[in-house]
Amino acid sequence: MKALTWHGKQDVRVEDVPRPSLVNPNDAIIEVTATAICGSDLHLYHDRIPSMQKGDILGHETMGEVVEIGNEVESLEVGDRVVVPFTISCGSCWFCEEELYSLCDNSNPNAEIARSMLGHSPAGLYGYSHMMGGYAGGQAEYLRVPYADVGPITIDSDVPDEQALFLSDVFPTGYMAAENADIEENDTVAVWGCGAVGQFCIQSAWLLGADRVIAIDRFPERLSLARDHGDAEVINYEETEVYDRLMEMTGGRGPDRCIDAVGTDAHGTGVTAASDRMKQRLRLEDDRPYVLREAIKCCRKGGTLSVPGAYVGHVDTLPFGALMNKGLTVKTGQTHVQRYLDPLLQQIEEGEIDPSFVLTHERPLENGPEMYETFNNKEDDCIKVILRP
Amino acid sequence: MATHDTTHERDAGEAQQAGRAARGGGWLRQAITVLISGALVVRGVRKRSLRGIVMAVLGGAILVRTMGITPGTGERERPVGRAATGGTEVTRSITIGRPADELYEAWRDPGTMSEIMGHFAEIQSAGDDRLHWTVHGPRGWEASWETRIVDDQPGELIRWRSPTDAMVPNEGVVRFDEAPGDRGTKVTLSISFDPPGGNIGEAAARRLDLVPETIAGEALSRFKSLVESGEIPSLDENPSGRGSGDMV
Ligand SMILES: NC(=O)c1ccc[n+]([C@@H]2O[C@H](COP(=O)([O-])OP(=O)(O)OC[C@H]3O[C@@H](n4cnc5c(N)ncnc54)[C@H](O)[C@@H]3O)[C@@H](O)[C@H]2O)c1
Ligand SMILES: [Zn+2]
Ligand SMILES: [Zn+2]
Repeated sequence: MKALTWHGKQDVRVEDVPRPSLVNPNDAIIEVTATAICGSDLHLYHDRIPSMQKGDILGHETMGEVVEIGNEVESLEVGDRVVVPFTISCGSCWFCEEELYSLCDNSNPNAEIARSMLGHSPAGLYGYSHMMGGYAGGQAEYLRVPYADVGPITIDSDVPDEQALFLSDVFPTGYMAAENADIEENDTVAVWGCGAVGQFCIQSAWLLGADRVIAIDRFPERLSLARDHGDAEVINYEETEVYDRLMEMTGGRGPDRCIDAVGTDAHGTGVTAASDRMKQRLRLEDDRPYVLREAIKCCRKGGTLSVPGAYVGHVDTLPFGALMNKGLTVKTGQTHVQRYLDPLLQQIEEGEIDPSFVLTHERPLENGPEMYETFNNKEDDCIKVILRP
Repeated sequence: MATHDTTHERDAGEAQQAGRAARGGGWLRQAITVLISGALVVRGVRKRSLRGIVMAVLGGAILVRTMGITPGTGERERPVGRAATGGTEVTRSITIGRPADELYEAWRDPGTMSEIMGHFAEIQSAGDDRLHWTVHGPRGWEASWETRIVDDQPGELIRWRSPTDAMVPNEGVVRFDEAPGDRGTKVTLSISFDPPGGNIGEAAARRLDLVPETIAGEALSRFKSLVESGEIPSLDENPSGRGSGDMV
C-alpha cells in the first residue's frame, strides 16, 4: 500500500509499504478515507521527537471504513465508518477506567523506552515515534487499530468526513485544553497559537463560558480566522509586545486563563530565542519554551495555565519563581480523546459546531510531501490539511 | 545445552573489560552496565537496532540529565525500583488491577510464562514445576536452561531456580501483595543471572545481552497487559518503509 513515511528532518516520502494485518484479537484494520496532518507531525518533521526511524509511517488523525476485525472485537463490524482517536488505549487499566486514556498503562509496546525518558510510559500513539509506541500511522491506505472496542467511534449519520475527522484529535484537544483552563464566569482566556488546536481552544473557551477570548499568533490568515470565525480579539506578536498589550487589554490583571496551543516549536525572536536554538542544536535543551515563559509572565495571579502544546524533554530558563509566587495552576497532557468522542460528535450532528472551518487544503495522499512543506511553512494560507488515500 | 561456550569465544576486548571491571569494581564496568543495561536496551536480545535508537535518543547531554549519569565517572543514580544488589540482580514492581490469587494462578501457568517472557526467551513446560528456557543472543549465541519451582506459596509467592551448573545460573522470585487503596495487587519480581558464587553466569549473561532490568520491567508490563486487557501490545507485522514487523 501507499503510505507517507518519515526519513529525517523535512524529509517525508510516499512509499510502498506492506499492508497491516490483524495481530491481536482486539485489532481492527481500517481502509483510510481521510487523514489529516497535525501540528504535532511538524515536530516530527523538524526531527524534534526522539526515537523515530527512517521509514516510519506518519499520521495520527485518521478515519475510514472497517475492513477486518479480530475475533474479540464486539462493537465494530466490517463496513462501519469510524473515526480513530490518536490515543491508543486498552480500556481496562486503572487510567482508562479513570478516563485518562492518553495515560493508558498497557498500550505502549515500548513502555521501557518511555519509562527511561519520562519516568512512566504514557499511552501508545499512532505514527509518533518508537518511544510513544512505534505503531504505524494513518497517513496510509490502511491502518491497524488495536483495542478496536475502545478507540474508534462509529459515525452512522451522514456527517461528512471533513466534519467528523477532527474528532480524532484537534477538536477534542482544543476542548480538553479549555476544560483544563478551569474557565469561570467573567474570565478572560488568552490563547497562544491559532493553528487548528488554537482555533478549537477558542471555540471551546466560549462553549465553557468565557467572557472574553484573546488569540495570539503572527499569521494574518490565522488571526483573521480567530477573529472572524472565533470572535476573538487578536494580537499579532510580531507587531506588538504581547505582555504589554495583554496588560493594557485586561487593565493590568492579566488573562485569567492562558492556553499554550503552540508547544515546542514556538517561534521566537531576540537573545533568548537565539540561545534556545543554540542549546537545542547542542542537545542541551529539547524544547523552545517561549510561549510557556510568556504565558507564565502574563497570567493573572492565581490563574490557570493550560498546555495542550506538545513538549519533548527539558526546557531551560522557565520562570518557575513567577509560576510559584503568582500561585498559578498548570494543567496539561495528551488529550484523553475517547472521553470526548460522544459528546463532541453529538454537537457536530446537532449542527452546533462544524469543525471543518479550519480546513484549508484537501489533497490526494500522494501530495503528502508537498503538503507537509506547505503546512510547515504556513504557505498558501494553509491552516489544516486533509489527505485522501 | 548451549551451542557456544562463552568463556571460549570471549574476545580479547571483552575479556579486558571484564578484567578491568573485576579489578577496580570500576567505572568502566559501571559505564558499560549503564549503557547496555536496564531501560536503555529495551528489548534486550532480539531488538538490536533499538539500542542504536535509544542511544541516539539519550545521546549527549540529554543522557546526562535524563538518567542522572555524571560524565566521566559513569556513576548513576539508582533507577526507580531497582534494588541495591548489584549489576545482574534486579527488583521491579508493578501494580495490577486484579486480585492476588488470580495473578498467582496466571503466573503458575507455563502458557502465561511463555507469553510474558516471549520478549527474550522461548519457554516450554518441562513437567513437574519445571520450565525449559531458550535464549537467542546476538551473533547466533544461544543458551538454554531449566528452572524448577523451589518455593511455592499460593496467592503469595513463587520462587524458581536453575541448577547451579547451568550455563546461565539464574533465579527468580515473584511476590503478590495486596495494593493499598483497592488498586489490585502489587507484583514484585526479582531476577538474578548471577546467583551468589558464580561469575561465569554474569559473563554469559552479558554475552547473550541479558539485561535483568529490562527483562524484569518488560516481563511485568507484559504480564500486566495480558491479565488486564487480554493481550500484550504488539508490533508484529507493523508496516513501515523497512518492511513488516517490529523495527525490522
Ligand atoms: N495535547 C495534545 O494531545 C495535542 C494534540 C494535537 C496537537 N497538539 C499540539 O498543539 C500544538 C499546536 O498544534 P496545531 O496543529 O495547531 O499546529 P500549527 O503548527 O498549525 O499551529 C501552531 C501555531 O502557533 C503559532 N506560533 C508559533 N510561535 C508562536 C508564538 N511565539 N506566539 C504565538 N503563536 C505562535 C504559529 O504561528 C502557528 O500558527 C502543537 O504543539 C501540537 O503538537 C497537542
Ligand atoms: Zn494531532
Ligand atoms: Zn488502558
